[in-house]
Amino acid sequence: MTESPPSLPPDAPESRAERGASLLRQYGGVAFRTYGIIVAFVILVIVVSIGNPAFLSQGNIFNMLSQWAPAGIMAVGMTYVILTGGFDLSIASGYSLCAVVAAGVGILVDPAYAFLAAIAAGFFVGLLNAVLVVGVNINPFITTVGTGFILGGVTYVVTKNAAFVVPDMAFGDLGAGRWHGFPFSGMLLIAFLLVGGLVLAKTVYGEAIYAVGGNREASRLSGIRVRTVIGSTYVLSGVCMGVAGTLTASQLNSAQANLDPVIIFDVLTIVVVGGTSLAGGFGSMWRTVVGLGIIATISNGFVLLDIDVFYQDIIKGSIIVGALALDVLARRVATRSGA
Amino acid sequence: MEARIDPPVTSSAELDAIRVERVSKAFPGVQALKDVDFVLHEGEVHGLVGENGAGKSTLIKVLTGAYTADSGSVEIFGEPVEQHGPRAQQRAGVAAIYQELTVVADMSAASNVFLGRPMRRGPMVKRRAMERRFRELGARLGVDIPAGARAGDLSVANQQMLEIMRALQADHRILIMDEPTASLGPNERERLYETVGRLRDERASVIYISHDLDEVLRLCDRVSVLRDGEMVATADVDAWDKEKLVNTMLGTELRAPPSRRHAAEVEELLRVDGVTVPGKLQEISFVLHAGEIFGIAGLVGSGRTELLRAMAGTQPGASGTLTIDGRSQPLPRTVGRALALGIALAPEDRKGQGLVLSQSGFVNVTMTDMRGLAPGAIVRSGRRKSAAETIAASLAFDPRRLGAPTGTLSGGNQQKLVVGKWLHRRPRVLLMDEPTRGIDVGAKGEMFAVMRRLADEGMAIVMVSSELEEVVELADRVLVLAKGQQTAILERGELSLERVLAMTFGVEGEAAA
Repeated sequence: MTESPPSLPPDAPESRAERGASLLRQYGGVAFRTYGIIVAFVILVIVVSIGNPAFLSQGNIFNMLSQWAPAGIMAVGMTYVILTGGFDLSIASGYSLCAVVAAGVGILVDPAYAFLAAIAAGFFVGLLNAVLVVGVNINPFITTVGTGFILGGVTYVVTKNAAFVVPDMAFGDLGAGRWHGFPFSGMLLIAFLLVGGLVLAKTVYGEAIYAVGGNREASRLSGIRVRTVIGSTYVLSGVCMGVAGTLTASQLNSAQANLDPVIIFDVLTIVVVGGTSLAGGFGSMWRTVVGLGIIATISNGFVLLDIDVFYQDIIKGSIIVGALALDVLARRVATRSGA
Repeated sequence: MEARIDPPVTSSAELDAIRVERVSKAFPGVQALKDVDFVLHEGEVHGLVGENGAGKSTLIKVLTGAYTADSGSVEIFGEPVEQHGPRAQQRAGVAAIYQELTVVADMSAASNVFLGRPMRRGPMVKRRAMERRFRELGARLGVDIPAGARAGDLSVANQQMLEIMRALQADHRILIMDEPTASLGPNERERLYETVGRLRDERASVIYISHDLDEVLRLCDRVSVLRDGEMVATADVDAWDKEKLVNTMLGTELRAPPSRRHAAEVEELLRVDGVTVPGKLQEISFVLHAGEIFGIAGLVGSGRTELLRAMAGTQPGASGTLTIDGRSQPLPRTVGRALALGIALAPEDRKGQGLVLSQSGFVNVTMTDMRGLAPGAIVRSGRRKSAAETIAASLAFDPRRLGAPTGTLSGGNQQKLVVGKWLHRRPRVLLMDEPTRGIDVGAKGEMFAVMRRLADEGMAIVMVSSELEEVVELADRVLVLAKGQQTAILERGELSLERVLAMTFGVEGEAAA
């Protein structure tokens, strides 16, 4: 909806040359914003698969899906938060906390209850962020950095960073289970992306997300409950942490407080590289899918092509900065041709 | 979900859309509305005119629920209005088309029309049905906007049309249009007039506010005039003509004669020729003398601010030449260049463009000349302090307040600092946009004294003000702008309030130039 192919601008400038230049700018800007990222992804896949044909093998793709499921699921929640113009930096700690809850409870009771407990923990983390951001009205960046520290600290203090190993092998079914080689975790990831994308594109709620992110005041004047909409995205992000933490705990059959402190950067990179604007109001779930594809391909490709792992960080960092620079440039072009 | 414009369910035949009785509203220092009575019939287009500051905006805000009246009552379709805020206002059926548009740029045209109330089946948005409905609405209003177009790519006129469609779609039967044609070109205006005509045909009620009196006389069924917060007249449009409207807006009471002015020196300081900003200003030329106060009069949207900005190097797309010290050059393109020529701008928006509100007066009045006050890039706080105190003294600004964050000061004191921040650089030309907006009477007097003193010291001051009385009273000469055109430059002897007002409304035109 926000990215339907550009129709002819109804207000054409006078001269033909001017008109042509303006159309080029406008279409150039939109087309670039829409398709540039897909082209980049395809080129990347071609390069890596030429370097090592095993990249496109079924087994490798299944492994990538399984490996990237936790970060990908959290990217779904993050996409919602960023579309409203917000930010959730608490997800690394929240994710560890939920994984520890899953494993800790899993030691005691049936895995199904452990998973529910972890998701509930994520829900409350999200609710806490929502209350602080829209209830108390603190800047989301600061809020979620703060809650991230708190949650991380709490997890360390309570567990003393001990690993919780779950003896019940059924606990690992969710994370490690496969159906004809297709990992359950990968299915879960695809389901989240699909449902998340459909809700965004097709529902009244999704419409409100774009409206609030695009113009908060206009949305308020149109009777949208702006704070409720914004708050809900943090809760959603919290639930995604819960599911992601559950998956990881199940994949490892254990969890620990210092699970993966840098996963936040992967999640942010996935969303931002796809082209969803940090300013809010522009973006979509397919962009997150492409972003996920790009990041997963780079990480996996470096392993397959046997390149020093530290180059990965350099490339990843360049890609984030590059993607943001392109977003700003495309916006500038769009503004110049618009209105 | 249908956007019918039927008579209200509860109504008997003769129900007024809006009935305002004895509404008053005061702000500190100003009685904005005094016992205002106002009736909007169903299905009429009702013009509302008045000078700037006559109370139009306040009345509108009371009607939309943004303000609560101090006394009096407002009824909408016979129901007293009690609740306030945009949601309550919408339930009552009043929609305001604001001057600053409220479209969501990254959403489609159709989504914008249904903002906040998308057509739905359960949780799902019925996008096709919305687009169909959008096209029907467009056809009804005689506009052709692609439903899928990104709203931010549309022209201002079409974005405004989206707002009108939004109001209709939401079943709002009272539309308040505040200067809807201010930013439109001639063809777009025609289209808007047509749209307003169609709204009337559908029995919608419209309050139409405009400074363009031709437009008001042509479009409206009745016209009301506000003056100094009082509703002075309401009559059918046939009873009005342009002169009558101007006279009513102005009132008949005698105005104080212009006060004694300093004799303008004849030394030419600066000359601008052919200042043009596409779509805003055409070929403005004038001469500035050292030691004079040069007024620019015109309505909002007449290009006043653009003219100042063009001279100060902050107006994109401006062209023209500027001659100073006998040397001609294109208009400055950057603020730095303008300052090098000795031209400084004290902007209209004190809080947004004039001051760093979190910082003290010391910092604010000296930040324009850090090079002069901080040799070697080290800020000498002693030097800064004495510089700031000197400036404060020349502005009659209490130096003890210099340490306070400027956000905590009154409007009048803030305005002094906005002017003061340029004084250390000693500009030769000081451009002042609305120097007295929103400050109380006493502070205004002090500001005038400061302006006169600076002029006496040889500076040329260019002032823009919506308060014509001020311009007439203070300025040595006045340039009148109407719709981006230079109507006249009036010399001291020719200045009168009536004359300037008539010219800004285009009643008296080129003949006087």
